[in-house]
Amino acid sequence: MKREVHRLGPMQTLPTPMRKFRDNEAVDYCIVGVGSAGGVLVQRLARAGFRVVGLEAGPFWDTEEDWVSDEKGSHELYWNDLRITGGKDPLALGSNNSGKGVGGGSVHWAAFAPRFHPSDFRVYSEDGVGADWPISYWDLKPYYELLEREIPIAGPAWFPWGDPHGHPYGPHPLGGVGDVLVRGCTKLGIRTVAGGPVAILSASHGDRPHCIYRGFCLQGCKVGAKASTLITHVPDAITHGAEVRAHCMASRISLRDDGRVDGVVYFDREGKEHFQRARAVIVSGYAIETPRLLLNSACPGHRHGLANSSGTLGKYLMAQAGNVVAGRFDELIRLYKAPPAHALTEEFYETDKRRDFARGFAIQTVGPLPVAFAKQMIAAMGAWGWGLRRVMMDYNHWATLGVLGEILPWEDNCVELAEEKDQYGLRVAKVTFNLHDNDKKLIEFGKKKVIEVMWAAGAKQVVQESRYAHLVGAARMGSDPSSSVVDKFGRTHDIPNLFICDGSILPTQGSANPGLTIQALAARTADYLIKQGDAIFFSNHRDQNEPGIRYDLSPPYTRFKGNPRLA
Amino acid sequence: MSTKRSLPFNSITGEEIEGLEQPGYYPGYSTLGQQKKWDDATRSTVVDRVNKTPPIRFFTEDEAQLLNAIIARVLPQDDRAVARVIPILPAIDQRLYKNELNGFRYEGMPPDREAYRLALKAFDEMAQQRFHAPFIDLSVHRQELILKSVHDGKPDPPHPVWEQMPIHRFWGLLMEDCVTAYYSHPWAWDEIGFGGPAYPRGYMRLENGLPEPWEKEEQRYEWSAPVDSVSTLDEEGAPEHGTVHGHGGSH
Repeated sequence: MKREVHRLGPMQTLPTPMRKFRDNEAVDYCIVGVGSAGGVLVQRLARAGFRVVGLEAGPFWDTEEDWVSDEKGSHELYWNDLRITGGKDPLALGSNNSGKGVGGGSVHWAAFAPRFHPSDFRVYSEDGVGADWPISYWDLKPYYELLEREIPIAGPAWFPWGDPHGHPYGPHPLGGVGDVLVRGCTKLGIRTVAGGPVAILSASHGDRPHCIYRGFCLQGCKVGAKASTLITHVPDAITHGAEVRAHCMASRISLRDDGRVDGVVYFDREGKEHFQRARAVIVSGYAIETPRLLLNSACPGHRHGLANSSGTLGKYLMAQAGNVVAGRFDELIRLYKAPPAHALTEEFYETDKRRDFARGFAIQTVGPLPVAFAKQMIAAMGAWGWGLRRVMMDYNHWATLGVLGEILPWEDNCVELAEEKDQYGLRVAKVTFNLHDNDKKLIEFGKKKVIEVMWAAGAKQVVQESRYAHLVGAARMGSDPSSSVVDKFGRTHDIPNLFICDGSILPTQGSANPGLTIQALAARTADYLIKQGDAIFFSNHRDQNEPGIRYDLSPPYTRFKGNPRLA
Repeated sequence: MSTKRSLPFNSITGEEIEGLEQPGYYPGYSTLGQQKKWDDATRSTVVDRVNKTPPIRFFTEDEAQLLNAIIARVLPQDDRAVARVIPILPAIDQRLYKNELNGFRYEGMPPDREAYRLALKAFDEMAQQRFHAPFIDLSVHRQELILKSVHDGKPDPPHPVWEQMPIHRFWGLLMEDCVTAYYSHPWAWDEIGFGGPAYPRGYMRLENGLPEPWEKEEQRYEWSAPVDSVSTLDEEGAPEHGTVHGHGGSH
């Protein structure tokens, strides 16, 4: 039975009708990718009165019809198209880190939403490794606070690390895995927080109900409690006249003779090619598809890809160390209950001179459902046959904690084009990843620390699986056009009306999950574009002044909430 | 004389374990019994998985028979009643027939379809070389010896396919496909006591491993793997090749 309305959760519906632009009608902004960043950008720019089209490669989800409480049935949430992954320490892609469809990765993220620390913006200055950001934490702080209210974030009253702060919504109750984290850390004298910070509602927000603790966060939240831009920002964008066009795979950004872009070539669902005219283009395709699109857009004058005069496009790709430590307990844990993301410590986040590596890591709860847990046992224990059946029968006795470790940006970790082509005839991405000395030492230390926590919590058996989480970098921002792709507002150094805004512009990544930072950066870029007005569409002048934050562009229900903070 | 079944046994009584409607420590627990509480989309996805086994369209009859024999060892179900065996081969065949990808391929690995065909050929030729019979005719123990050598990354006997394609990558591919089929089936959820779909109802008892009113208390029993099996857990833990990485998105 086909429903007549487009559902975004059990209660919320997509505003109708959605405005439709014609291809040959030049819009102000064409945004490629409607995920964490793209969702915020279409919303802000539409509210400010611009004519905006968001092209999304995947579907426009109806959460009641398209999403299921089922691991295998959620396969379509991920970027499943072919990519080649190599290097000495190849990254798993697909369900591990890549979303497809309106909302992008924010549909399947676990939704941990910590801020970066002030030190993350000055890694080179403080530690002589990695890179500095062209902005400081304090430039981004107002946007962190604003997005924490818009999303909104639930978490502890006092988050003691980095720039200490509280959260607009209260913490979630503790599940079995969080209990293990808190117990083990406390025994070792390590501070913890529980119940967040997560982008999951602990109380109702507008037309979104609060969490029901069913544990299927990574499969897309049918409840509408976990935030994705699909439900937090896209509906408001539609209300204000934006068009979000699904099943549109961008193949090339088109460049005019005067060196400015004039639109995006894309394939629709049937494989038919279209050209959307636009006065400016923002690429928000995340750390693999963004560089891939720009590399595939190479043309005379830009033989090595658009916005790549520095040669750094595709380079300095980062993933975080995401080793999972699993502990078996005599008592029952039932790790499938409660959101996978609900307790953490950032006690080891900063550089510690007593250790032999720079930067640090966080320890967080994870909550693999049966298929994911079985895969972990294959990797961690070499389980197969009867051994696999046996360890899986003990599923309810295991708890899993994750390292989230900072891997530094290295030039040889990169996205390039492979010779192989996808279903559209576009060259697929080839991803190369190698751990360097600092990364290896950090992972070794982090892994051992989490194992220690697991024993301290009372585990009877402890195993660990090496893996990586998240993807950022590959089109980094910086003040120097010879060593970065975009400036501090996401504007490419080479082409004045081409912007990049997503995780790929991050120069370093800290040990915080990147989702909140990506959305905060998108809101800031939007403020910049709005302040510049039409000048973006014809002027080559680069105003490098902060735009000043706009508090009048938030989606509804954001007012009257607070961010507990130090004065 | 070869036998294709190999039974685990009760460690206390020594009695063989077979014909179980529901293995595991949660007798009487049924996730499917809760299906009225699930949303429509989830119910139809899960119920179809149980009721509609896809036909074999990718593999040839011989290949299917061989892969089935391999699956029966890497994810054995000899303890289950015949009517309660969870179909794994059809799920793998369907994925390959539709050429459904998981978003990436390791450099040096052939495409998934080719990888399976190469590996099947290798397994059969290894069986011939080492035991002078096709893989499917070998005893369970001998089948497991060959599989374990691939699991360990030390193929015995060596075979040129494993020089062409990274052996631990293929093993990972095979195992992940098998567990995706098995542990996405509600009968496996019953076996391990997983709560299953929980929307729109949700969970109420989050702490201390408490069961929901519709879940069951654990009732453990001691069991041993079949005497001729070599697939028991190695207490030493992970295989040596440190490049095997998890593929499940967990945070």
